[in-house]
Amino acid sequence: MLKLTNVKKTYKDFELDCSMEVRPGMITGVVGKNGAGKTTTLKAILGLIRLDGGEAKVLGKPVEEMGKAERAQLGIVLADSGFSGYLTIRDLLPMLERMYPKFERDVFLGRCRQFHLPEDKKIKEFSTGMRQKLHVLFALSHDARLLLLDEPTAGMDVLARDEILDMFREYMEEKEGRAMLISSHIAGDLENLCDDIYMIDGGRVIFHEETDVLLGDYALLKMTQEQYQKIDKSHVLRFRKENYGYSCLTDQKAFYLDNYPDVTVENNGIDTLITMMIRGERI
Amino acid sequence: MKIIINHSSMQPIYEQIAGQMKAQILKGELLEDTALPSVRMLAKEQRVSALTVKKAYDTLEAEGFITTVHGKGSFVARTNQQMRLEERRKEVENAFELAIQKGKSCGMSREELLDVFQMILEEM
Repeated sequence: MLKLTNVKKTYKDFELDCSMEVRPGMITGVVGKNGAGKTTTLKAILGLIRLDGGEAKVLGKPVEEMGKAERAQLGIVLADSGFSGYLTIRDLLPMLERMYPKFERDVFLGRCRQFHLPEDKKIKEFSTGMRQKLHVLFALSHDARLLLLDEPTAGMDVLARDEILDMFREYMEEKEGRAMLISSHIAGDLENLCDDIYMIDGGRVIFHEETDVLLGDYALLKMTQEQYQKIDKSHVLRFRKENYGYSCLTDQKAFYLDNYPDVTVENNGIDTLITMMIRGERI
Repeated sequence: MKIIINHSSMQPIYEQIAGQMKAQILKGELLEDTALPSVRMLAKEQRVSALTVKKAYDTLEAEGFITTVHGKGSFVARTNQQMRLEERRKEVENAFELAIQKGKSCGMSREELLDVFQMILEEM
């Protein structure tokens, strides 16, 4: 579906060197702090920037060779792009129909009504959340095989986010072989949606794991100074000094649950993972 | 099919799904040849990743509780009496294991453990 092999892009103060893969039927997530390289990666996939090295293959073709037919099979939400604010949803329809042969007009308009997006109001008068919803609804409206979504739920309230996430799940279930690459800084979104997760920092992938393993086998251990001295640290990935002693990130939850019943073991969310991977120290 | 997932449990989610389905099969609530929801479908309903559901199905298949027909989906397999008995036995073994671990962690010797075992057995 999508494969990046050592994709490189150098800016004055930033260097991207990224390898990742999205397989058919999979929802893959990308997390990282601001400026980690998430958007640059997506731009590389779309051919919006020229690569300085490596290879990016989308739908089996190198990015440089992507034509109209391939692009029509991509559903996209980008953070800083959208429709002209002077148009209304109704104005957009003829354009969308010409650009995307499989555009499902009725489905799209039905969903716009469901999300209370007025058809004849200028888009510049939409709130941030409304505009974001419009972009997502459109990405889902033309039978795209690969969805590339940069912060698709940014600016939405909890309820709208929930509805949109369910819509993503439905989209995946509707037809086999669809795939999705989604970046978000709202960890909860990714935890219950993605099949696997990449973490990017400083332009590099520093972590890749199946979400299931992440939630099942990773944990945060909390312990006192004395416990920390004695504990077997062979499965500690990162540690941090805390006022009560130490917190440690492990990928072998069961080992510590079995052998150290006195140590506090906390289920690990993506948020803790990001903090520990980036701020924590290696043993 | 009803499955309740506890996200704060220490038990991995795929184990929770497999465990609850297994219990329903053994109790006869899920009958032989019943078609199970597709992986994506169950993932959507439970709001978990599809790989999690796949892992649960793989576990159940490896243990002989379900069969997967390529292109058709997964179905509840025929569970024989033997399997039910074995499953029960495993549960009993696990309960003993847990008790022994607990005993050991508070320093009980082998003899003390056996004494307790004998005592309870006779009281019953």
